Amino acid sequence: MSQARPAAPSATLAADGVYITGWGVVSPLGIGADDFGAALAEERDALTDVTGMFEEKLPSPQAFALPDFRARDHLGRKGTRFFDRATALALVACDRALADTALTVTDTNRGKVGLVLGTTSGSVKSTSDFSRDTITQQRPYLVNPVLFPNAVMNCAAGQAAIWYGLKGVNTTLAAGRLAGITALRYASRGLSWGDADALLVGAVEEFSPHNAWLTHATGSSAPVGEGAAVFVLERGEALLSSGRRPDAELLAVASAYADPTAPAEFTEAFAACVRQALHKAEVDPADLWAVAPSSADPVETGALDAAGAGARHLPVTRLLGECRAAQGALQLAAVLAHHRRGTAPEGGPALITSFTPEGTIGAAVVRGWSR
Amino acid sequence: MRRRVVITGLGPVSSIGTGVDAFADGLAKGMSGISPISSFDASGFPYRMAGEVPGFAPDELVHRLKIEEWGRSSLFAAAAGRLAVEDAGLDPEQLAGTSAGSCIGTTAGEASAIERLTEHEVESGFESWRAELATQVPSSRLAAAVNRELGLTGEAVTISTACSASNYALGYAYAAIASGDADHMIAGGAEGVYRWAHAGFYRLGAMAERHCSPFDRDREGMLTGEGGAALFLESLDSAERRGARVYAEVLGYGINCDAGHMVAPDSASIAECMRLAHKSAGITADQVDYICAHGTGTPANDAAETLAVREVFGDTPPPISSVKSMLGHTMGAASGFGAIACALGIARGFIPPTINFRTLDPDMPGIDPVPNEARPARLRVVQNNGFAFGGNNAITILGEVA
Repeated sequence: MSQARPAAPSATLAADGVYITGWGVVSPLGIGADDFGAALAEERDALTDVTGMFEEKLPSPQAFALPDFRARDHLGRKGTRFFDRATALALVACDRALADTALTVTDTNRGKVGLVLGTTSGSVKSTSDFSRDTITQQRPYLVNPVLFPNAVMNCAAGQAAIWYGLKGVNTTLAAGRLAGITALRYASRGLSWGDADALLVGAVEEFSPHNAWLTHATGSSAPVGEGAAVFVLERGEALLSSGRRPDAELLAVASAYADPTAPAEFTEAFAACVRQALHKAEVDPADLWAVAPSSADPVETGALDAAGAGARHLPVTRLLGECRAAQGALQLAAVLAHHRRGTAPEGGPALITSFTPEGTIGAAVVRGWSR
Repeated sequence: MRRRVVITGLGPVSSIGTGVDAFADGLAKGMSGISPISSFDASGFPYRMAGEVPGFAPDELVHRLKIEEWGRSSLFAAAAGRLAVEDAGLDPEQLAGTSAGSCIGTTAGEASAIERLTEHEVESGFESWRAELATQVPSSRLAAAVNRELGLTGEAVTISTACSASNYALGYAYAAIASGDADHMIAGGAEGVYRWAHAGFYRLGAMAERHCSPFDRDREGMLTGEGGAALFLESLDSAERRGARVYAEVLGYGINCDAGHMVAPDSASIAECMRLAHKSAGITADQVDYICAHGTGTPANDAAETLAVREVFGDTPPPISSVKSMLGHTMGAASGFGAIACALGIARGFIPPTINFRTLDPDMPGIDPVPNEARPARLRVVQNNGFAFGGNNAITILGEVA
């Protein structure tokens, strides 16, 4: 455990600050903050046999997946039959987040409570299965209309809104591995702007033959993973008026774009984005107690070194695999898990970074407490 | 302090015209962009029409991207973005040096790549998947394509809230500039036509055979469409400083969610979204001179939309027309095309028509759909509707710069 210097043992809440007041996670490391945190602390190996999960052939017998995960085990049988895997994972993460926060959704506030959910391309399996029926059925239009919404990327967010009665802003962001950070940035603006009073913010990725083969086809040998993490974000004024304690403050989120085919320039742009986030957060990189990067890729490591962010790297990718859209949200969950377990310094700032092969770059700075 | 935000460039790549003048001409003439489907083999379908962009030639519109590396939706987005910047009259080199980014809406992203991969899987199994197509699948590539094409270094955000996504994108870009986070933004949407979406809408009984006739008693339903729609946004100060032509000001937006049903629209929730948009824009309903309808032409949409309009605007609402009668439903690009039509209507003094119109649905009393011919009008404030699967309602309000 590194000894961090910042002197913020208890939260001094700012009315216009943006705070995390609860969170939920679904991952092969565990479902819910406690199980996830315990497994993370043990650095448990979550790579598992997935050969029984699907009828389709898989490129690898192992993945960081949840072979026994069923929506009905968590949400009940009623209304869950047609949920695809991404939707089910997202809903259970929302469920755990809502159970973890003191915020309650009522008829009085549901118009100002919303959801911001990150994805790569929705459930590629759902889209592909629907498309498949137009080829293999006797007539190309003999698709199942009940499954049509599953083929569209905003399915999980729409279903979660229905399930939890969230009538506020409801946004799906297609951002690949940057989804977690992109969702935090979108939500932070939405809360500051007054679009919503509280937002469930997170990202989801399902394990499927399609996602496994897509990763395989791009030449990656990294085991793929799945999961979802959802955080409840509120403005400080809501906490001040109720005397609640936050899990963390979202200090800054920065995002940028650079041409990924020029690695040196890309690394420099990435470093600049990290510096910008730290500057906005008014955090000295030497004060960071942890960095949760999306990868061990040289462009990301190089950018972190260039920005002076050399604090302990949390091994998120090593423990959870390549979770694409869920990655960034799980990185934040890993940081918060340390706070929840008391293995992070109170009020200590941490950095989360990510990038995609398409060239998008992001960095977020949070400071957390054990609550 | 919130900065005022204006639209100074338009980039439509559409079935009725590419580039601002061709598109404006198409709107003013009430052209139809509907034609027999050529993007996929539609021979097995009873209905075979859609609003495809005829002869889309990305290599003529896009300068930097390697065409073969990008899917059709990304190329629509990049081409539209390039056109919007050219129309704004800003030096692209200069733009690249500023705090500039993009926000692009879509329903299905590069679902055409997923569709092709699915064909390969059916023919030869998953082992036949190759990197060239697999790398095209992430939907975040749409905004990335715009940034890459134009050398923009600000954020590149793809919003995938189905058929209202462009209005989300316009709202996000507006807030980015108004709050001072960015100086220039390209906002809009991009979409292709897909066999699976054609099948889905047909199977839902939502599709028309040949014509999309919103608000008409005898309407059959919607038709799908494709294209790219981009709007160039900057602060009013910036536009005035460089003497830019201003089409319209972005006054505000409203976003909410039905949280009731994935497919069936909810008129009370839509009415609430209108009120949110009016409040955000600092206007009252009586100030709205024109409503650019979501107007898909399905009985469910038209009934819910006009009911909401009458709830908010009373028995004599302002004229409400549907550009989908001309373009078909371009899904994630739809409210982007709506926003371009609104900006052109404000700048050039006309209301685009609802074409294919014969008889007003008697269940929609008081609705003026601007039948068949564009109408000259001074538009001070306009409302651009966008609704979607998932109950994702998003409405933007544009106005004259006062």
